[in-house]
Amino acid sequence: MIKRFSRAKRKARSTRKEVNAGRDAPLGANRGAVVRSHRRPLQERWFAWRRHHSQSAADSLSKVLQQPLASAMTWLVLGIALALPTSLAIALNNLQDLSGRFDDPARISLFLEDQVTLEVATDLAQELRFEPEVATVELVDREQALIEFRDGSGLGELIDSLPQNPLPHLLVVTPSSDTPELVDKLRGRLNEFPWVDQLVVDAQWLERFQAMMQLGRQVVLLLTLVLLAAVVLVLGNTISLTIENRRQEIIIVKLVGGSDAFVRRPLLYTGLWYGLGGGIVAALLVLLATQALHGPVSNLASAYSSDFRIRGLGVFDSLQLVLSGAGMGLLGAWLASSRHIRNIEPV
Amino acid sequence: MISFERVSKRYENGHDALREISLDIQEEELVFLTGHSGAGKSTLLRLIMLMERPTRGRVTVAGVELDKLRRGAVPTHRRSIGVVFQNHKLLMDRSVFDNVALPLQIAGYKDRDIVRRVGAALDKVGLLERERALPMSLSGGEQQRVGIARAVVGRPLILLADEPTGNLDPELSAEIMQLFMDFNRVGVTVLIASHDLALISQLRHRTLTLREGRLVSAGNGISARSD
Repeated sequence: MIKRFSRAKRKARSTRKEVNAGRDAPLGANRGAVVRSHRRPLQERWFAWRRHHSQSAADSLSKVLQQPLASAMTWLVLGIALALPTSLAIALNNLQDLSGRFDDPARISLFLEDQVTLEVATDLAQELRFEPEVATVELVDREQALIEFRDGSGLGELIDSLPQNPLPHLLVVTPSSDTPELVDKLRGRLNEFPWVDQLVVDAQWLERFQAMMQLGRQVVLLLTLVLLAAVVLVLGNTISLTIENRRQEIIIVKLVGGSDAFVRRPLLYTGLWYGLGGGIVAALLVLLATQALHGPVSNLASAYSSDFRIRGLGVFDSLQLVLSGAGMGLLGAWLASSRHIRNIEPV
Repeated sequence: MISFERVSKRYENGHDALREISLDIQEEELVFLTGHSGAGKSTLLRLIMLMERPTRGRVTVAGVELDKLRRGAVPTHRRSIGVVFQNHKLLMDRSVFDNVALPLQIAGYKDRDIVRRVGAALDKVGLLERERALPMSLSGGEQQRVGIARAVVGRPLILLADEPTGNLDPELSAEIMQLFMDFNRVGVTVLIASHDLALISQLRHRTLTLREGRLVSAGNGISARSD
């Protein structure tokens, strides 16, 4: 909390000459100097302010490191609390990635009326290709489809015995985008076309999936808020204990004219170090978890002949995680110290 | 330099620590404040350094009416006053040097000036050789002198001392008092609360006497009005 002087500086001061220089200006001598001395020049105070910042930062860091076990516990608690929502968010992102990999996820099947000939169907397909919401249109010829069905189903003889082809011509329309709104709009548009007997959207599962992802994101957001609050409270509690341990020191500093800000500064840095450490632990935990899952996920993906790979936190995101930990630390320390320091007054 | 106008202080438990105190202490004066324990000496000092606010009346220090000082201005006010406490109030885990340097760090002095001034203050109280010691390893008298060095290192206008010789033997007490008189000689206004009447009477300075919160004697009769 209070600056300690380096050995080198002590040596410098112990030369006789400097002491004598001090003695030449007796204490409380010169009235003008006395009055000035209680408020130093702005520039000098600015330098002193910066010095006290670096001093507080270094002092509080060494105090945190002096209790490695207690500090490590705090870092671990904060790290876990930060890693949990981060991991969930990563899981959601990967699911989203995965859903994007399904081929033609939203498809609309247009079953045309029985009397439609192949020429009409071809013309209709051609017409549909000019629609802005349509990416591709595939025409499935009814004769072709019957042959495929007969070969694929093993019901060849039964199908051969049918008096006529029961299958209609089919147009498979792929929308230009997967968004539910666009698919809905396209469906309405397609219903207006002639010769359309039945219209089936293949992608209702996708809408449900999107809705579930939306819900998942809300849950993660809520969980994040709750856990961030927990982080702030844990830190606030740690800082409160620190304040209680230094009660006498704070009183003495206030007695000799230390402001609340002067007392608060090293405590804010203590919070910053705890938060920063917690953020680093969280980033490491997330990294370890994604590394551990990388192999199994790859194996699973290749079993489905997919090249899907789990996507962890990038450098930028990890940095953001560490910084948000530091921010929470600062916030917790601020809340705790402004609540307590004000109430610690010399009595 | 210090003036009280009809100042009363009643604590929350209903105890009247000070009743209608009026007094003036001039610049560069050295004044003793005496009375039995519980007579209100400490309360009077605490009002000057704003550890308490008066219930009624007005305290003025160095031309500043203290009741007009907001909370944020209290630290600056305290920096203009040096205080010596009976129980020293030193930071036990910091060296003598760091203890004395504290007010200068708070005020924002340069390192070079801090080293110079702390050296001068410790030299004055005769503890230059012990600057790296921890207060715990010092005797009571030495700890008191560290407290004095800390009180004067910022060259305050006013020096307050609450029972500075409380637990010291007569010889050490006389030495401590001599220090205060030296500071007074170079222009510091000094107010010493003490019940050591034998010592005070030798020193021939104005003595204010409190009894049950009232000012019963204003020393030389200068500018003390007790209602």
